Amino acid sequence: MADLLLQAAVGVLSPGTLIFLFAGVLVGLVFGVIPGLGGTTALALLLPLTYGMEVSHAFAMAGGIMGAIAMGGSISAILLNAPGTGPSAATCLDGHPLAKQGRAADAIGAVATASPLGGLFGVLTLLIVLPMARDIVLLFGPPEFFLVAVFGIVTVAISSSRNLLRGLVAGGIGLMLSFVGYDTVHGGVRYTFGSDYLWDGIPLIPSLVGLFGMAEMIRLSIEGGTVAADASAVKLDGVWAGVRATLRHWKVVIRGSITGTLIGAIPGVGGTVATFIAYSATKKADRDPDSFGTGRIEGIVAPESANNAKDSGALLPTLAFGIPGSAEMAVFLGILMLHGLQPGPTIFADHEQDIYSLIFALTLSAVLASIIGISCVRWLAAITLVKGQILAPIVIAVSLVGVYAINLTPGDVVLAAVIGVLGYLMLRFNYPRLPLVIALILGETAERGFQQSMMIGRGDLSIFLHSITSITLVVLILLSLTWSFVPLLRKRFAARISGDVS
Amino acid sequence: MPFNVRSVLVATLLACVACGGPGEYPEKDITVVIPFNSGGAFDAYVRALAPGLQKRLPGAVNVLPKNLPGAGGRRGASDIYRSRPDGYTIGIFNMPGVLIPQLQGMSIGYELSKVTWLATLGYDHYVFVVKGDSPHNSIDDLKALGRNVTYGATGPGSTSYVATNIVNETLGIPFDIITGYKGSAGYLLGLIRGDFDAAMINYSTARSYLESGDIKALAVFGTDSDDPAIADAADLGAPELGQIRVVRMMGGPPDLPDDIKSMLERAVLEAIDDADFQSWLESTGNEAHPANSAATAAAVVEMTEFYDKFQQLLD
Repeated sequence: MADLLLQAAVGVLSPGTLIFLFAGVLVGLVFGVIPGLGGTTALALLLPLTYGMEVSHAFAMAGGIMGAIAMGGSISAILLNAPGTGPSAATCLDGHPLAKQGRAADAIGAVATASPLGGLFGVLTLLIVLPMARDIVLLFGPPEFFLVAVFGIVTVAISSSRNLLRGLVAGGIGLMLSFVGYDTVHGGVRYTFGSDYLWDGIPLIPSLVGLFGMAEMIRLSIEGGTVAADASAVKLDGVWAGVRATLRHWKVVIRGSITGTLIGAIPGVGGTVATFIAYSATKKADRDPDSFGTGRIEGIVAPESANNAKDSGALLPTLAFGIPGSAEMAVFLGILMLHGLQPGPTIFADHEQDIYSLIFALTLSAVLASIIGISCVRWLAAITLVKGQILAPIVIAVSLVGVYAINLTPGDVVLAAVIGVLGYLMLRFNYPRLPLVIALILGETAERGFQQSMMIGRGDLSIFLHSITSITLVVLILLSLTWSFVPLLRKRFAARISGDVS
Repeated sequence: MPFNVRSVLVATLLACVACGGPGEYPEKDITVVIPFNSGGAFDAYVRALAPGLQKRLPGAVNVLPKNLPGAGGRRGASDIYRSRPDGYTIGIFNMPGVLIPQLQGMSIGYELSKVTWLATLGYDHYVFVVKGDSPHNSIDDLKALGRNVTYGATGPGSTSYVATNIVNETLGIPFDIITGYKGSAGYLLGLIRGDFDAAMINYSTARSYLESGDIKALAVFGTDSDDPAIADAADLGAPELGQIRVVRMMGGPPDLPDDIKSMLERAVLEAIDDADFQSWLESTGNEAHPANSAATAAAVVEMTEFYDKFQQLLD
């Protein structure tokens, strides 16, 4: 293995391959920055081009794109509150408040440090577990999918404990939206009003662009001004402070990376959930959870380390069973097949070196993207000084074009605009958008997992306790539920005692 | 052969008359619609075929694959159907995937009997599989279980779901289907994990797992079996089940002019024989089973009659 690994590294570092890797990094950064576009679109456009390429070049370019997307997506999340990609949406929560305080450079510095570290962690984990990929993937059946989805929803619900009721309302809306479309279990079609567009459900990327990017631009247009509230407070040289802060919070990096790798490996759950859960977990573990959302650097470090670690996780089911761990991986699967690599039980044995070179490309590209990000910080952070009247129309136009480009579907553009208004209203009336996003993504997985488990278990609920994995998940869910009530109970208890005393 | 300016001129003139007027087809790029996302088997097929197709068409035009996913392939199919019959939009059809909703009477925006069929690229036959270490070695073993045999499939109305229904009804096996798996790779994984007893799966997805021993085949449909241990439709006494397979057909909108149709038909058939395409097929374990325009149209009629007979099992 070490031998092949070395050969793969030498292969990727050869000038011919390096050019493709670098091209991939640039494409990834640009596609990451533009809201709506993203890894999936970039890889889909790349797919036909790779047909004439050597496998190693195609993998270098794909790895370059996948490794750099996160950096690009988070730059727009921080500067514009418009995440360039789904998984970067969690970075908005604390990244954008920092930009408003004039500390965009700090935030970008943190991203540039946390994402390659997360990527590195994910790759190391991947190399260790690669031989066991099969067994890991087989641990998750319909009951486990259901429980993972419930766990995700619970994690996010309790992290919005400050306004629990509003969080529940947002989560409820998200669940309702997730049920729109063709029901893959029973074959019925729900809430589509006869429209073919809604047959496939409410698509995630246009929703995210609306909920975050469009909503923010509507706000900026209505309230006027610039992103950074006080132009004189903008520091363009905070990048190294961001780098140092990330290294100081190495525990957050590790927690985020573990979350990213694990959740990335579960098909149908995917990167966006991974980064949100990493964020929620860090918030929950912090001594001052209420200060999250106001510009805590840990609120960037956690999702960003998960963001790059998740790609390694998502590779496991993609390679071992041809089941994509994420939308990007679905397209990557196409690149594999176009080059005659059939995913399945023998792929590790047959193409070990190709897989190592992909892994190596992924790591190298995250590092390259960070270097580019850090060196451009000065110019990027200046965007927060651009007036809203100029910025908003440009961002809205670019986002909507990006949304249209995903599937060439006009319906996606309309949806992004409608959800944009919903997002603005939620912003205006202080409803958290996180539960909506998570419920929208996980609602379908939860429903399908539950229905299939009931069919497999012939209606017996004990199927949710039939494996070690499912029992562990049930325990985790119960623990996080009770934990979240501990502070609440303690407060009640303290109040009662002090009440007794007085 | 001596070069003769006059005969070339005459031939060109005749060719122009034959194609009926000015502007020889093709004079601009040709779009091949793929009704699925990039990354699937249909997508890979078209993309592997496109360079060969481009080489075989006169003029310097490009053949551009275009993914139009949505509504289980119906969006792409109706886009091909509604395009102008000028030969610049053609596409690939997933049969019987797009046929079943038509027979179910859904409003789908196309009528397959009116499509101008160009050629068949090939088919993917179905394998009746159980887990590799399953104690059951024949369909009779499953029948003898004394309970309903459980199967995994994608959603109701999908090819895998309808095929499972038809095979079990025809062979008289009591059964339940666990639906909702994502694609054939999804329920293949479910079978290996042990979610259910058996599955009907397309061969190209199953191949490497059959070779590794993760799953084993009890029967094949849509092709003849050359292994005495594996039954085919005829061995099971139900030859009509030979219709059960996924067929990849190329077609264009209704009323495509005959000259354009024959040019495209010939180009597609020649592109299938292209050495690059053949080596791609081999490396991915796919097999080409080309058929011309007339044979494809006949196969559509035959397939429609077959699934129509099982009307009540379609949803």
